Amino acid sequence: MSDLRPILLVEDNPKDVELTLAALAKCQLANDIVVTRDGAEALDYLRGEGGYHNRPLGDPSVVLLDLKLPKVDGLEVLEKVKSDEHLRHVPIVMLTSSREESDLLRSYKLGVNAFVVKPVDFQEFFRAIQELGVFWGILNEPPPHVIRTPS
Amino acid sequence: MTPDLDACAREPIHIPGSVQPHGVLLVIDPADEMVVAASANAADQLGAPPLSRRMPDLLEEGAEALRSTMASWGAGPSPSAQVRLGVNGGDFDGHLHRADGLTIIELEPVPEGEHLDLEMLYSDIGSFVDQMRRLSEPADLCRLAAEKIRQMSGYDRVLAYRFDRDLHGTVIAEDGNGILPAYLGRRFPASDIPAQARELYRRNRLRIIPDAFYTPVAIEPDRHPATGEPFDLSQSVLRSVSPVHVEYMRNMGTGASMSASIVVDNDLWGLISCHNSVPKRVPMQIRNAIQFIAQILSIQIAMNERGKEADERVAQKTILSRLLGHMAKGPDFAQALAAQPIDLLAQTDADSAAIAYDGRIVRIGSAPAEEDIARILAWMQENVREDVFATDELSSLIPGTERFADKASGLLAASISSLHPSYLMWFRAEVVRSVEWGGDPHKPTTAGPDRLHPRTSFEAWKEQVRNTSAPWKQTQIEAAAELRSAIITIVLRQAEERARLTGQLEATNKELESFSYSISHDLRAPFRHIVGYAELLRAQVPDLDEQATRYLDTITESAVSAGRLVDDLLRFSQLGRTSLQRMPVNLDKVVQESLRTLEEEIGDRQIDLQIGRLPEAIGDAALIRQVFYNLLSNAIKYTRQTQSPRIEISGWRDGNETHVRIADNGVGFDMAYVHKLFGVFQRLHHAEDFEGTGIGLAIVRRILERHGGRILAEAELGTGARFTLVLPDAKGTEDE
Repeated sequence: MSDLRPILLVEDNPKDVELTLAALAKCQLANDIVVTRDGAEALDYLRGEGGYHNRPLGDPSVVLLDLKLPKVDGLEVLEKVKSDEHLRHVPIVMLTSSREESDLLRSYKLGVNAFVVKPVDFQEFFRAIQELGVFWGILNEPPPHVIRTPS
Repeated sequence: MTPDLDACAREPIHIPGSVQPHGVLLVIDPADEMVVAASANAADQLGAPPLSRRMPDLLEEGAEALRSTMASWGAGPSPSAQVRLGVNGGDFDGHLHRADGLTIIELEPVPEGEHLDLEMLYSDIGSFVDQMRRLSEPADLCRLAAEKIRQMSGYDRVLAYRFDRDLHGTVIAEDGNGILPAYLGRRFPASDIPAQARELYRRNRLRIIPDAFYTPVAIEPDRHPATGEPFDLSQSVLRSVSPVHVEYMRNMGTGASMSASIVVDNDLWGLISCHNSVPKRVPMQIRNAIQFIAQILSIQIAMNERGKEADERVAQKTILSRLLGHMAKGPDFAQALAAQPIDLLAQTDADSAAIAYDGRIVRIGSAPAEEDIARILAWMQENVREDVFATDELSSLIPGTERFADKASGLLAASISSLHPSYLMWFRAEVVRSVEWGGDPHKPTTAGPDRLHPRTSFEAWKEQVRNTSAPWKQTQIEAAAELRSAIITIVLRQAEERARLTGQLEATNKELESFSYSISHDLRAPFRHIVGYAELLRAQVPDLDEQATRYLDTITESAVSAGRLVDDLLRFSQLGRTSLQRMPVNLDKVVQESLRTLEEEIGDRQIDLQIGRLPEAIGDAALIRQVFYNLLSNAIKYTRQTQSPRIEISGWRDGNETHVRIADNGVGFDMAYVHKLFGVFQRLHHAEDFEGTGIGLAIVRRILERHGGRILAEAELGTGARFTLVLPDAKGTEDE
């Protein structure tokens, strides 16, 4: 088992951030949780650019990505990540309010690892977040070659 | 050997190089008034050879009149004049005109002592005009003219011909003394008058041949001194006619003839043709009077025709505006026209009609059968380029159509779309006519050893004409064209309107789509937050009392149900947008799957499920699953308060449709409200009794409608409900 790598949460709504963090806290993950508030910031984090040029090395264990985001939206982030040679192995879970079929189809086309419609029922929501956190944060073994060294 | 009919039409009859012998032709150079050519009989008639002499020197009388006439001509196009001249002790009627820069003077001797009563002529013309005014039919006008002309000229017989569209001439009026045979009603084939003769008739309004047995007199020299070309004798009154023509006259038994043209709108409308059994001279003044009568007759005929045409046009305009009014009212111009058969047929005076449009053929009146019309359409598509096409002998164009000649010998068609074979068609029934030809028209000439000879027999030759209709008049063809452009305007306008509406609808749909998209994101979030924070609060405060717990539960429940409402609404609105994936669907499986999903709702209730074998259906599997899920979920829900709940599912095929019935013995509903059952947000029960958003059945109906199917609901309050859904194999209409 590798070192616990952080979970990246990309969510612009502060209430959703708080609720998601509460859910993740409940499953007592040891992973750090990094929150970015829009798509541009998320890309900066993933690429180690902008405000994140000094961040510790390593990719997050999973990106929980909201679909609707300011500046660069979720689908764009997904597209950029999955077309980036260095990043495309990072698991991305689309977290969305939308039940739109077209969003789902596009996400899968772009190579999303999972697509979760945020349930209104909080218990369900908790369960979903917790499962995601456990699966991607702890259990999922990343491919061996992905530990990036600074260029 | 087939006679070469064109040989006749090629004969250069305007430059014969000779004249008839009853007068003298002189060609004068207007510059020096010198005679440069003369007919060979000039020396005899004038007493001395006139060549190379100045014209005034030849004249004893009229030199001054001649000179001043010629001086007044100026550079006009084809001036002509008449002067009385005295030569060699005799009187001559002089006719002069200009041709190719030269002046041609034709002299006809006036018999000594001839005295013409001009007063009489004037009063004849006056009475003709008076009587003419009371007549309107061309045949009546022509008969009056024929009588007058015969009275003034003394010919044995005067005929009036009218030419039809094919240039055959029919004798429409006649006056005679019985010496020559009567030809009234007889038709003479177009080939009797070759094209170039017809053209001469149009330009030179009066011709005379006093003696059909004449010997032509040559003009010497026979060439124009400057151009070297033969003299153009188009306007000549003495011009020698074609040998074929005099032979024709002799064959007809006439020794002298004169003809005057009836020209209407610059076309040769007809001829006044005078004949005498023996040679006959008609003085120039009388010829002038006759030409004048022919001119008045022409003008009167033209006026009457125009008047009639104007009346017809006014009537057609009235009809057109009525038809337009009807067409403008409805979306379907073809139906609108078909609903006005009388006006539609009157517009072109047709017996029946058809409208071929949009792949349909609408028949009006006794039109030919649809497959016959389809054949005509196919032929027109292939062969007709004009917008409006007319024929009065359809079978000559499309063999086989004589089979229904009684319905459509005449066709007038207006194309109303260039993309599809779309036409407005009018038909005219066959009119069987008997035509009495002046001789067999199929044998107009015989070939002799040296040249063509005209036919020798003018015996009545009766022919029955079949498979033709009354011809379409120009005004009727124009009326068809007008209706055509009106329809095109209407169709175009409707197409534009449709395109505009479609555009608007697309924009509205797009708007609606982005609206529901943002609702799906933004409206769901607050409900989630409410539930989330309520739960956080519950976790934060461990020892909430009962009431506080109930409050929190209610907050959560309300938010959850509001969230479901949003979800259901979105699903409903998405139904209209997603496309159907049609495939065979195993309904037995669908029912089993639905029941499995509903296990939680059934819980530990004992429901008597009677499930029969269901036929296969064709449709979108996911959507059909939704239908069964909703209906079964309802059946489970509404049997909740029933003692021994029972749900029966049965299915059968009927033609190309699959029918499935889901019946329960639950609370049912009042049939008085059945019309509300499938509406969005329509509930027939109180929400506290039965939960739900009130969209389920609306979704069911919409899915079935998108498949071209339907759903029926029957129920009785308190004893149960029965839903029957019908799914057709092939989709009928889909509102995409």
